[in-house]
Amino acid sequence: MPQPLMELFPTSLRLVLEQLPAVARESLEEIRIRENRPLEISYGSRYSFVREDGTLTEQDQGAFVPSKEQCRALLERVTNHSIYAVEEELRRGYITVSGGHRIGLAGRTVLDKGAVSHLRDIAGFNVRIARAKVGFGAQVLPGLLDLKERTIRHTLIVSPPQQGKTTLIRDLARCVSSGEWHHPAARDWGSRKVGIVDERSEIAASDRGVPTFDLGPRSDVLDACPKAEGIMMMVRSLSPEVVVVDEIGRPEDADAIYEAIHAGVRVLATAHASDMSDVFARPVLSKLAADGVFGCYVFLSRSGKKVEHRIVTAEEAMRESSRRSNRSFGASPRDDPSEKQLGRWTDHPVPGTSPVAQTHVNVKARTMPTIRSPAMIAPRGVDDD
Amino acid sequence: MIKFAGVLLVLFAGTMIGFLQGARFAARPRQIRELLHALQRLETEIGYGQTRLPEALARIGGILPHPLSELFLNISRSLSRDSAESGETVREIWERAVRDHWPSTAMRKAEKEALLRLGSTLGGSGREDQLKHIRLASIQLQAEEASARDDQQRYEKLSRSLGVLGATLVVILMI
Repeated sequence: MPQPLMELFPTSLRLVLEQLPAVARESLEEIRIRENRPLEISYGSRYSFVREDGTLTEQDQGAFVPSKEQCRALLERVTNHSIYAVEEELRRGYITVSGGHRIGLAGRTVLDKGAVSHLRDIAGFNVRIARAKVGFGAQVLPGLLDLKERTIRHTLIVSPPQQGKTTLIRDLARCVSSGEWHHPAARDWGSRKVGIVDERSEIAASDRGVPTFDLGPRSDVLDACPKAEGIMMMVRSLSPEVVVVDEIGRPEDADAIYEAIHAGVRVLATAHASDMSDVFARPVLSKLAADGVFGCYVFLSRSGKKVEHRIVTAEEAMRESSRRSNRSFGASPRDDPSEKQLGRWTDHPVPGTSPVAQTHVNVKARTMPTIRSPAMIAPRGVDDD
Repeated sequence: MIKFAGVLLVLFAGTMIGFLQGARFAARPRQIRELLHALQRLETEIGYGQTRLPEALARIGGILPHPLSELFLNISRSLSRDSAESGETVREIWERAVRDHWPSTAMRKAEKEALLRLGSTLGGSGREDQLKHIRLASIQLQAEEASARDDQQRYEKLSRSLGVLGATLVVILMI
């Protein structure tokens, strides 16, 4: 666990957390602190309660119980003794501390004219530990390249929470801004200017405006900026070639993305959804998908410690969703691992195969649907070809 | 000859005691005024800048003159570093610092109470609430300042002359 993070905790809590077994400490994902309830951690997709001496237990009896004073001290530490300065964050229910770790908060909400104005009596903390995983982007990036335009395609990274979306998008931003395309055809492309709209301060984890994660030499970060406004500000004033945003989903986000793609900017975004049908079930995302805004989708799923990814082009996604609506029930879930093994997702980069061959297959697969179901392809869907 | 030296010493000491007492009466309203300036500054830092408390207090400590600047700088230092070790809250740090530094100021109990009350709420609530508490403390301090000025006018000269006269009395009695 990173040392700066440990400094957030009051001494008594820190003593407990420092005694955690090494295996848990290394793959620690969340620390859940609930007032007068057992201390819980989750690591490597598992959860455990923690006893006072740092040992792990499955039972909640006998686990360490954080007191009211400890929670109060923790809240003061994470807000840097200044709750007044994080009112906006409290309204959204989380605080991002230096290092990009996000602390989700549970408490009593205070309403103002029917809208949540802030949180009080905060009694639950979920410390999510951010990790920079350099190298993840290298596996995914070759599948996202637009060889004709010599840049990346408009991409949406889709996964349920806690699967590494932010980690992936951060590493992709780093690769693009430092020109590491990991593709033989892209060796002489050079790097691209990357604009990152970091509404939740998770991608860059900026400390007073300076990113604390490595985002490559050509990245600009708008920290804590609302996405929709941030995208417009980026396009107007910072001339990015690739815009990176986290967790789109509101109508104004979509409007801003339309503006950006018509300003000649490539968009790299993430969204919460588990598969393509979820994407089509969410109003804003489905509109973006139906308009063919995104050139490809990356789905993340996780088995144990390993994060699997799957790249789907827009046409395949379309076909998939239309077939799904025709067949509806009885269709095997697309996440079915057997399908993946059959190699149906041909552009899934298999380690060992040459990326050139992959791209070739990729292009072939993408021309097919124009013949088979032209009605389903929105005019903009193929503008990346 | 030795007697004469003794008389001089007694006179000197008495006068000095009187002047010191007088200076304390003069320093109190001045320090309260400085404290009020500090609170006004804090109000701006919290209300408009949304500066974090350790940084805001450090800035205030940087512009205040001698006895008060140490108070604020000390609190700011403890907030940014020490509490990481001990997990102390703002309130505990504030109380400790005020208790430690109070003897070096000319201020009295009423001001201390007002300051301690402010410390127990500082940083622990939303912006509007913080501003209200700071204003409340300011009003209390303003009242104290008025009474301190009264005391100054009444007792400053008095205590000076009292020092000289007291010393003279002792000299007369000794001779």
